[in-house]
Amino acid sequence: MRLNELNMGDSGIIKKIHAKEPLKSKLLSMGFARGEKVKVLKHTLAKNTFDIDINGVNVALRDEEAREIEVEKIEN
Amino acid sequence: MREIKIALVGQPNVGKSHLINSISGATLHVGNFSGVTVEKKEVEFERGGFKLKLIDLPGTYSLHPYTPEEKVTKDFLINEEYDLILNVVDSNQLQKNLVFSWQVADLNKPMVIAFNMYDEYSRQGGEIGTNKFFKLTNIRAENVSAKENFGLEELFEKVIKTYEEKNTPRIYYSEIVEEEIENVKEKIKECRLDKRFISIRLLEDDEDIYKRIHEKPWYVELVSQLKSSKERIRIEYDEEDVKEIFFEERLALSKGIISQVAKKARRETLSEKIDKVLIHPILGLPIFLFVMWAIFQATFSLGAIPMDYISAAFSEFGNWVGGLLPNGVVRQAVVEGVIPAVGAVIMFLPNILILFLGINLLEQTGYMARAAYVMDGVLKRFGLQGRAFIPLVSGFGCSVPAYMAARTLKNPKDRLITMLVIGFMSCGARLPIYVLLVSAFFAPEIQGNVMFAIYIGGALTGLVVAKILRIVLFKGEPEPFVMELPKYRFPKLKALLFDLWVKTKMYIQKAGTFIALASLAVWFLSSFPRADIVKEYSVKIEQIKSSKFKVPSAEKKIAKLKEEMNRKILENSYIAHIGKLMEPITKPLDLGWREDVSLLAGLAAKETVVSTMAVLYGVGNSDETSKGLIKIIRKTMPFTAAVAMIIIVMFYSPCVAAMSTFYAEVPKWAWRIFYTIYPNVFAYFAAFITVSLIKLFS
Repeated sequence: MRLNELNMGDSGIIKKIHAKEPLKSKLLSMGFARGEKVKVLKHTLAKNTFDIDINGVNVALRDEEAREIEVEKIEN
Repeated sequence: MREIKIALVGQPNVGKSHLINSISGATLHVGNFSGVTVEKKEVEFERGGFKLKLIDLPGTYSLHPYTPEEKVTKDFLINEEYDLILNVVDSNQLQKNLVFSWQVADLNKPMVIAFNMYDEYSRQGGEIGTNKFFKLTNIRAENVSAKENFGLEELFEKVIKTYEEKNTPRIYYSEIVEEEIENVKEKIKECRLDKRFISIRLLEDDEDIYKRIHEKPWYVELVSQLKSSKERIRIEYDEEDVKEIFFEERLALSKGIISQVAKKARRETLSEKIDKVLIHPILGLPIFLFVMWAIFQATFSLGAIPMDYISAAFSEFGNWVGGLLPNGVVRQAVVEGVIPAVGAVIMFLPNILILFLGINLLEQTGYMARAAYVMDGVLKRFGLQGRAFIPLVSGFGCSVPAYMAARTLKNPKDRLITMLVIGFMSCGARLPIYVLLVSAFFAPEIQGNVMFAIYIGGALTGLVVAKILRIVLFKGEPEPFVMELPKYRFPKLKALLFDLWVKTKMYIQKAGTFIALASLAVWFLSSFPRADIVKEYSVKIEQIKSSKFKVPSAEKKIAKLKEEMNRKILENSYIAHIGKLMEPITKPLDLGWREDVSLLAGLAAKETVVSTMAVLYGVGNSDETSKGLIKIIRKTMPFTAAVAMIIIVMFYSPCVAAMSTFYAEVPKWAWRIFYTIYPNVFAYFAAFITVSLIKLFS
């Protein structure tokens, strides 16, 4: 499943970054890497833009970019 | 005295600028938004018998640059001469920050780390053992707080010690990677850069490094080694992308070292709580619009309070100067030309300061990034991206920094589209023109709303134009949007006040020099030729004066004649000729030659529009400056002309300074020409349509 499929409050573990360069390096430098935990803090009403917590860093990204990140949802 | 040249690097929002301010005692601009440090700042100071020279490099997330600013930092680190790297790290985000530190450490230069914002971190229960850190990495580090001003002196002691010992970092990756680094390193012969650094960067596909070495004689041999080394790493790590492997290596390194040297802080939840409201899926947008509306209301209503006093002060000043100077052309030029014009411009200083204060507050508190988040969905629909919001909003302050802020957009198309519509965001210098026209032609109760409508109307039009440009001229994928939302921070009063002081100084300087000269020129052009008219009227005035019959109304008559004379002079002046040449074009907009000339002057600087009108409407003679101007234009300008003028000012070309910034940022001539022409054509037709509609319905 992809990061953009998670809902508000959901958490997941990153499985793979599918993005191409230079987006991939950008995501990596923000801390999106295999095995890291992400949490969807918020998204806009139409799920256009996401506010993601990755290791205590808040990162905003779009649906298009979130789609490039494969995650496994953590069931609470 | 020996000089230590220090490259100051760090990720965005780690408080680098603030650290600099805390050293030198001078406060510069400190913002909370990613990439506020665009220009190169240098700070010099003395410590322990050395001259320390800090070069502040743009905040960067990685040595795989993404934005042009990040490229600036990388190029500097690779190409320039410096003695030491001072890496500023946000203690609250160790893991992410240290990944970058390891990349910098690879350069194998003497290096010191400052764990900044340590005050916040320790308040949350966090601790960092810098001695242990030094033992593990051979990098001296100090816990500092630029905000509470501690640790800085100790930091500089460590900088000097590291410099004297030429102490370089010892950061090692896992065994297999290290082996391959060594294998590649052996093939590297002579090169200015550190060999280990080159082999690491080559292994992680750094094209900038490839470009530097691909003409070396040993390149061919190196490439085959590189290929087999990469292959081995790929197989061992079961991952195609070696760059990603290196990233994961560094991440693991961060985690390992953090677990050994740092005590974890409690999670800070304040920002999250604030965000629950401010970027709420439904409430976020209305809240943002309300914030912008409030700023404009304050700009207009609070800014109006000191106007009367400034205006009165300038007419007093004019009278005083008039008394000092001998009668003649010089006195006239100063008292009737320069002083009222400069006064009319200074009067708007309060408005401009309030607007800038608002924008700075948004930046410093960290709300600006949220605004970009909230706006992204909207901006995307117009072919722009959330990040474009920053240059666009900066455009409300001044187009010059806005064009430069557009550098944060990496994709050239996105950047160009954004830059082409920045001019539609009304800059601070245009505010006086709106204030003048709106005060003269709209009821006081609705003035604030009209102002809001002007700003929002301009912005919306800009967005629509952006969409059209995207569809017609630039096809293709918009740039990705990945942006850090920094923590909310309390604004720093000192920084805010300093920034306002800089703006005030700049504005007054501009008013005192450029605008004074421009208004002098306008006064001259509007007062000459006049010999014949003056002769004709002085004869008439003399007749009344020398008349034997003491007419009680003689004084009045003379005053009336003088007024008539001034009007005649103006109507025959050089500037009137220029304006009259333009009249046929602007006739459909109900604009007179005075407005035409003022708008032309506005191409030099928007501030001169009001001062030119002040000169052309001859308010230099009246008791008050701008208050008088408002009265006069209310009487002489038709309502439609006022609306047309507002619309033209909203859309036509910005000032020369802004235009030359655009030219500097955009090298292509085709775009420069397009940029120079289309806003004016657009402004003309927008004004024409609006005026026609008003006439149709009234």
